[in-house]
Amino acid sequence: MMWRDVGVTLILSLILPVVAQGARHTPPGKPKLTSCRSPDKETFTCWWEAGSDGGRPTTYSLFYHKENSETVYECPDYHTAGANSCFFNKNETSIWVNYNITVVATNALGNNFSDPVDVDVVYIVQPHTPENVTVGVLEDEDGPFLRVSWEPPRKADTRSGWITLIYELRVKLEEAEEWEEHRAGQQKMFNNFSLHSGGVYMVQVRCKPDHGFWSEWSTASYVKVPDYIPRERSMWILIAVFSAFIFLILTWIITLNRSSVKHCLLPPVPGPKIKGFDQQLLKKGKPEEVFNSLVVQSFPPRSTDYEDLLVEYLEVYVNEKQELMPEGKDLRDVGCLESKSQSDNDSGRGSCDSHTLLMEKCGGVESKDESSYEEPELLQGQAGSWERLERGDSQVVDTPDSSDARVKTWPLVFSPSIHGSSDNHHYGTLEMPKQHSTSEITYSVPDHLFPTSTSFPHHHHPEYRDSLGEYSEYRHSRSPSTGVLYHWEAQHHPQAHSNFNIRNLERQKEATGFGLPPSRSMEYVEVQKVNQNQLVLKPLSSHGRGPSQVQFGRAVVDYSKVNGVNNDNVLLLQRQREMAEAGQYCDYREKEGAEAERYPTQQQGKTTKDGPVATQLQESTCLTTSGYVDTVPTMPTF
Amino acid sequence: MARRSQGTKLHLAVLCLVVSCHAIGLSDLMERASQRSDQLPHSLVHADSHFPPMGRVMMPRPSMCHTSSLQTPKDKEQALRVSENELISLARSLLLAWNDPLLLLSSEAPTLPHPSNGDISSKIRELQDYSKSLGDGLDILVNKMGPSSQYISSIPFKGGDLGNDKTSRLINFHFLMSCFRRDSHKIDSFLKVLRCRATKMRPETC
Repeated sequence: MMWRDVGVTLILSLILPVVAQGARHTPPGKPKLTSCRSPDKETFTCWWEAGSDGGRPTTYSLFYHKENSETVYECPDYHTAGANSCFFNKNETSIWVNYNITVVATNALGNNFSDPVDVDVVYIVQPHTPENVTVGVLEDEDGPFLRVSWEPPRKADTRSGWITLIYELRVKLEEAEEWEEHRAGQQKMFNNFSLHSGGVYMVQVRCKPDHGFWSEWSTASYVKVPDYIPRERSMWILIAVFSAFIFLILTWIITLNRSSVKHCLLPPVPGPKIKGFDQQLLKKGKPEEVFNSLVVQSFPPRSTDYEDLLVEYLEVYVNEKQELMPEGKDLRDVGCLESKSQSDNDSGRGSCDSHTLLMEKCGGVESKDESSYEEPELLQGQAGSWERLERGDSQVVDTPDSSDARVKTWPLVFSPSIHGSSDNHHYGTLEMPKQHSTSEITYSVPDHLFPTSTSFPHHHHPEYRDSLGEYSEYRHSRSPSTGVLYHWEAQHHPQAHSNFNIRNLERQKEATGFGLPPSRSMEYVEVQKVNQNQLVLKPLSSHGRGPSQVQFGRAVVDYSKVNGVNNDNVLLLQRQREMAEAGQYCDYREKEGAEAERYPTQQQGKTTKDGPVATQLQESTCLTTSGYVDTVPTMPTF
Repeated sequence: MARRSQGTKLHLAVLCLVVSCHAIGLSDLMERASQRSDQLPHSLVHADSHFPPMGRVMMPRPSMCHTSSLQTPKDKEQALRVSENELISLARSLLLAWNDPLLLLSSEAPTLPHPSNGDISSKIRELQDYSKSLGDGLDILVNKMGPSSQYISSIPFKGGDLGNDKTSRLINFHFLMSCFRRDSHKIDSFLKVLRCRATKMRPETC
């Protein structure tokens, strides 16, 4: 069976071609007009492609007719444009006329018409490529650039405006892949910047009529860009500018931190610091005053540790009637409740001395017995002692009103500011006198109260403890120029009776360990001295605290020398550390008598004043190195 | 908005003329006019592309355009022989002849049974703007050129509507668009020839 099929197939394959010989001849296939183009809007060419030729030689002919006539014309020129083309020359070309074109393929067996195509020459314009494309590398101040120039294709009549061409070019490095295209408009020249030096560029140009097709790209033009030094120079310039900029910034920063740089490189030589040394005063050329200020400083310091913690306290006896609300002052570091001599074992009784003193010096002015003396007692760890202090004393320090007869009324001005203190104890609690709604007790302190005989406690308390914030004490603080600020603080017991006892603790001679009796009915007042002769005592507000204790390092009674008044309401007392140095007394006492009489009159007006009270100070020429309260010649008056 | 700016430029040119300012020369006006006219065919090509190829059987012949009665140069030699005044007159006449048809087209475009009749109608509006601004510019131009250039041939448009049925409407619409496209080409060519010739511009720029 299989052999039979093969045989039939062979026979058929041999016979069929012979038979088909005659069947291969067919009319030609249908030709097809591929495109018509006009390069100049004056002529045009149409191309077609042939269909199958049907096995016979086939001829093609093109026929056309224009839109408004039926006359059919045949293509005038089949050859100019090549095979399967028809070229219409100028005479046969009309613009804005539709051509209806048909191609006919003819062979011996028949012909075949192509589909007609309507062509309007205006729409089929495709110019030739631009000509004379020249590329050159030119150089200006910015660097090298490519200049490309060309001409329109010869056939396009752009001069008369019949055709308007726009151009386009493309550039790339020879080894690059992407072209960089640029539209050049109607101009015939183009500059391309930002070149790579040393590279080879390819350039091509093409054009297009305003309504038509793009031409082909012109043949590539090659150009080599030479290596240019300015390109590198610009880089160096950039680096230089950048460095200069950084340098300027650094200079500016250093200039801003001039002082710290100088500090770092040339550390300042520490200079001597002498407390109380007034350079300004020295410059003014008054050495005496300078030395005076030096002298009056407590020098040499007894205790180097607590040089600033000069606390003295006075026992202030205040009338009970006096509504004294002491401001709540934390007790300063006591530093120096120096106290009293052993006769001060009781809190207030030690003030007897002062009391006596007062009476003595003031010529008979009696200290009020009813004044309760309270010592600014610094008890050690005895909480309840304050109460005892308070209750114990029944004496009330005379209010200024009541103590007219007293000589020893000090208008004390509380100073809110403590100078020279290096500590930061609760100074905040020291209030300005005006802040007090309570009355102040102002006492005018006759100078003799701080006399040579009396000893004011100068307190050095190296063992001051920080817990002694509640003590009322007065403390010394140094003001460099004017001496010592004398602060007397009186603590007001919550029971609101304030018994103040200003005591002149004058046991300087018997500097013993100051041991305060555990229970003292003492209160502390804040003492501020307005001026030399006046001290303002302000009762301390009640803290509700128990009495703290301060341990006095030494039981040395110091005098306090009043140096002057600082600011408005600061009594500057000098603290005399070395009682041993207590030397000469100035002619203090002699003046006191005269002054003493002044006080009573003055004190009236000062009692309820909140503000600082001051009286005229008398000049004293006395300079001592002792701890006496001296009048300072330069005392501001109020 | 380029066309509007050009229109305003032309208006500014008018103002300049009023105050006897010759800042805007004829060449500039021509340049702008030709630029404006250049935009017409482009828009038309875009509009025309929306239409699918029509069977030529039902397509009216282009010679049936209503402006075919106007005698215009048919080739380059003829066009170059035409005087400047006539060139400008021809351009203006053609432009004027299309005001009414454009109105018809713009009114018919939204209801055209075509999927993109929205685009078509926007294109028609664009064409109207172009025509208007170009017409204004040409008016200014003829004022500068002289009275002999102000002759305009009036070409009436008799087409009432596009037809009743959908197909004929589409066909007629397309036909009108093609007529307008050709005429815009004519206007553009005439103005560009005029520009190069009348202003004696540097040949290299023409």
